[in-house]
Amino acid sequence: MKSLKLALLLGSALIAVSPAAFAQSKGGVINVATIGEPPTLDAMASTADLVGIVSQHIFETLYTFDKSWNVTPLLAASLPDVSADGKVYTIKLHTGVKFHDGTDMDAADVVASLKRWTEIASRGKQTAPMISSIEAADPATVKITLTAPYAPLVSLLAFNNAAAIILPSEKQQNPMTDPIGTGPYMLKERKADQYIQLTRFADYKSAEGDENGYGGARHQYLDEIRFVPVPDPNTRVEGALSGQFDYVDSLPVEAFDRLKDQKATEAVLLKPFGWPVFVMNTSQGITKSQDLRLAVRDALSMEDMMAAAFGSTDFYTLNPSMYPDGYSWKTDAGTQGAYNVADPEKAAEELKKAGYNGEPLRILTSRQYEFHYKMAQVAAEYLKAAGFTVDMQVVDWATLTQRRADPKLWDIYISHSPFLPEPALIGAMSTSAPGNWDTPARKVAVDAFNAEVDPQKRVALWAEVQKVIYAEVPIIKIGDFNALSAKSPKLEGFTPAPWPYFWNVSLKQ
Amino acid sequence: MTEIMTNAPMSERSKFFRVLIRRKTVLFGLMVLAIFVVLAVFAPLITPYAPNKLSIVNRLKPPDMRWFFGTDEFGRDVFSRTIFSARLSLMVGFAVVVLASLIGVTLGILAGFFQKLDAPITRLIDAMMAFPDILLAIALVAALGPSLTTVIVALSIVYAPRLARIVRASTLVIRELPYVEAATSLGISTRHIMTRHILRNLLSPILVQGTFLFANAMLAEAGLSFLGLGVSPEVPTWGTMIASGRQYIGKADWMTLFPGIAIVLAVLSLQMVGDGFRDLLDPRLRKDL
Amino acid sequence: MLRYILQRFIGMIIVMFLVVTIVFIIVRVTPGDPAAVMLGPEATAADIAALRQQLGLDQSIPVQYVYFIGNLVQGDLGQSIFLDQPVLQALAQRAEPTFFLTIFSLLIASVIAIPIGIYAAYRRGSFFDQAATALAMLAASIPSFWLGLILMQIFAVRFGLFPVSGYGGPGTSLTERLGYLVLPAFALGIVSSALIMRFTRASMLDVLGDDYIRTARAKGVDERRVVLKHAFKNALIPILTVVGLTAAVLISGAVVTETVFGLPGVGSLVVSAVLRRDYPVIQGALLIIAALYVLINFAIDMLYLVVDPRVRY
Repeated sequence: MKSLKLALLLGSALIAVSPAAFAQSKGGVINVATIGEPPTLDAMASTADLVGIVSQHIFETLYTFDKSWNVTPLLAASLPDVSADGKVYTIKLHTGVKFHDGTDMDAADVVASLKRWTEIASRGKQTAPMISSIEAADPATVKITLTAPYAPLVSLLAFNNAAAIILPSEKQQNPMTDPIGTGPYMLKERKADQYIQLTRFADYKSAEGDENGYGGARHQYLDEIRFVPVPDPNTRVEGALSGQFDYVDSLPVEAFDRLKDQKATEAVLLKPFGWPVFVMNTSQGITKSQDLRLAVRDALSMEDMMAAAFGSTDFYTLNPSMYPDGYSWKTDAGTQGAYNVADPEKAAEELKKAGYNGEPLRILTSRQYEFHYKMAQVAAEYLKAAGFTVDMQVVDWATLTQRRADPKLWDIYISHSPFLPEPALIGAMSTSAPGNWDTPARKVAVDAFNAEVDPQKRVALWAEVQKVIYAEVPIIKIGDFNALSAKSPKLEGFTPAPWPYFWNVSLKQ
Repeated sequence: MTEIMTNAPMSERSKFFRVLIRRKTVLFGLMVLAIFVVLAVFAPLITPYAPNKLSIVNRLKPPDMRWFFGTDEFGRDVFSRTIFSARLSLMVGFAVVVLASLIGVTLGILAGFFQKLDAPITRLIDAMMAFPDILLAIALVAALGPSLTTVIVALSIVYAPRLARIVRASTLVIRELPYVEAATSLGISTRHIMTRHILRNLLSPILVQGTFLFANAMLAEAGLSFLGLGVSPEVPTWGTMIASGRQYIGKADWMTLFPGIAIVLAVLSLQMVGDGFRDLLDPRLRKDL
Repeated sequence: MLRYILQRFIGMIIVMFLVVTIVFIIVRVTPGDPAAVMLGPEATAADIAALRQQLGLDQSIPVQYVYFIGNLVQGDLGQSIFLDQPVLQALAQRAEPTFFLTIFSLLIASVIAIPIGIYAAYRRGSFFDQAATALAMLAASIPSFWLGLILMQIFAVRFGLFPVSGYGGPGTSLTERLGYLVLPAFALGIVSSALIMRFTRASMLDVLGDDYIRTARAKGVDERRVVLKHAFKNALIPILTVVGLTAAVLISGAVVTETVFGLPGVGSLVVSAVLRRDYPVIQGALLIIAALYVLINFAIDMLYLVVDPRVRY
């Protein structure tokens, strides 16, 4: 785990991001346009990126990722000591850390929070069966005992959504009533659909070391950060162009040309950012049939979907592998003849084999991410050509996340994910994630991968997992895409990241 | 409202001119409408491309000889889609007029003719009309689940009371007309009176109101679709086209421009025709509005 | 007269009651178990059953109806599912932009429409009159969201004169907040000016034909004075009525316009509530708006009684 050797995720940013060599000035307020109103601020309760983006300023986890996507301590003092049998993790805590309500963080808070995480958070629930106990060894040490070696544990503790955030032991209610964390910024006011206002937390104790991705020092230059929900992508573009916002998240790539040569804003391109995915309901309904799932995949043209969604190849790459170039996880295993097939006849045959009788194929998608919706529209035409009856259900993202949890309500939903530093974090790897992929072949491949600690061997085992994914089609990877956002030229010290953060950011005077 | 002579200078010529203009606008409106209807009916024959035919390589092409109105983000032909939208938008408008008229006329005549029913029906109409139309339509579509049919049903429910109120008023007037009174006193059956005298006399106001209703229903459908609460987004209507073109304003203006112009033209022509109908068919309702 | 007022009052109560009933029916027709929606995906069947009992959803429809009315009488509109706050509070928080947007648009519409209407009536049949009538028809044919998009593109994006969307951050002053309303108010105002213009023209024509105007003219009273003072004064009541009616129409327009401009008003609250399946909010918003409409109508009727001596019952 310590040697999680991963290639750079943060690729070329179009803007030159200077390291914090220059003197950054303190003070100022920034407005950040987000894709909508987060359903909650409880980072444990949601896997939504939006929740992660906002809440990571308020709450902190024991670990986080540095700029090379290695796990690095945040509220922990160091990486854990792992016993020889790989089952006991001893975690020393960073001392002198205060919560926003003024109380000190200690092992009791951490134990209570981690227990809450195993009960509420989807990633926590996924981990829960592996954990036999979480206890405080002393006020500054926590001990986690596992039932079997589980390599992804520390990565899971480092993640910022469905996150193992540390809350005061007396503030563990679910749903969360009082967002009190240890982060550099604290919640001042939340007006639903209007803004979330965060202010500097005066007693913040930063992690040690230089700024390093999400890890290292977190400087609080800004007085205030305001997250403003702007659900309409076009309005976000206009808001960036007019200079109304200092940072605008998730823009349609079509806007790229319009962001050129602007005074008020400049483009931020994160390359590659992630992968759009069609998640199939493998537990109920017509997509329970593997032949039907194959038919869906073979009907689709990844090329047309990516082109419709992202415009030019500057913004996307066709890639069947679950990881892009530069990641040790990249492999072609299992992908031959199974990607970008776009063969309606083949799909029709598979459909016949599946005994399909024109039942509506319910595709759940949202317009909050315009590219989801565009891919859905292209997919619908290709699926119809193969003989599917398509029932497209366009809802807002919050509703989608709610509905996908009920397997009775959908057959396919469209989502996307950043390239995650640890493959075990990919949603479909968990049987409890929407889609509920749970087959003997999956169990063999995934269990072997999760139990192995040696990085070299894990790469080979991951190829096996990818083979099973391609054979059983629980998810369909569409391609790799780059993310476009925009920032004001006045923002200094901003590092493009999949979940943009605004500590270490300052305003040019 | 009676014809009023003002002392403002107005020559015979300008009066004549005015009537002519009125007629001219009606003529214009009718012609535009006729063109829309022809386009809608023969859409598959006229359009160069199928409305949902994707052509990703040709996405966002500006208008030229191949694509008169350019192409959208999926390389679909905006011209073909605009025409197919006419089909759905006109169909929605027409269906709403028919359904709303059926409900509205029934309620209106019942209220106007039978005094016992007047109070309850009028109160119901008042209550329904207390809801702003789009808001009520949104709630109804939410309740019934979004689809083409529910949009039609919802808009009909929204507009029927408005029609019922007018029909009731007209029925009250017609009921008091000498020959209807005479018919009643002669013992001619109520049903006969209703179908023969009242319905016939109601034709004009219904036609006039129906035309305006048509225009309103089309605007409302566009609004609902624009909000993503109307028909499914892949169904081409002018509202859904503008909604999806919105993102490309400044880059592919033709995506919002042409369907927008189509709505304005269609609604405008309906209003002109409605205005003309009001003047020509129904002198009793004639207003200088 | 007292009898009339009493009659009107009882009529209003009946209409109010019907409004409540209609809302109740719409919400009951809506598919999906509200309890399941409220508790979210993680809820167990037992949790849902418990909440159903707590909400009274396990009762028969008539019993639920009685509870619904009972809660309403106590001013309880229920709890928003998504926002996790009382519906009344959520509505109150969003009333400001909607209120000012309505006022602004009315103002803009009146300022455009009333002078044009007066002059068109005065120069009846002239080119000006015809042009004004045609323009009014055109204005009424433009979807307000389309106009909003065009105005936003020109004045907010190209010239940067106004903010594109939203309603200001924390601590923005009222004047700054009102700046966010200029473009949406114009989009709505222009579209709704048509009705006011045509009505003003008609009322003025009506009054200009009255005897006392002829008398005034015969007496040689200055023409401008005749039109603006005598005629307009008398045409004012019907004009004010249509302005009031337009306010109600504007709320419909506001639903779409608020969404275009990202204004956190009642209209956009309803739209997002529909997308979020937040039924209590939809229900509450419908009730409040319809009730306001009924009350305003009643108030206008009463006002007529006071203002217009010609109204006799």
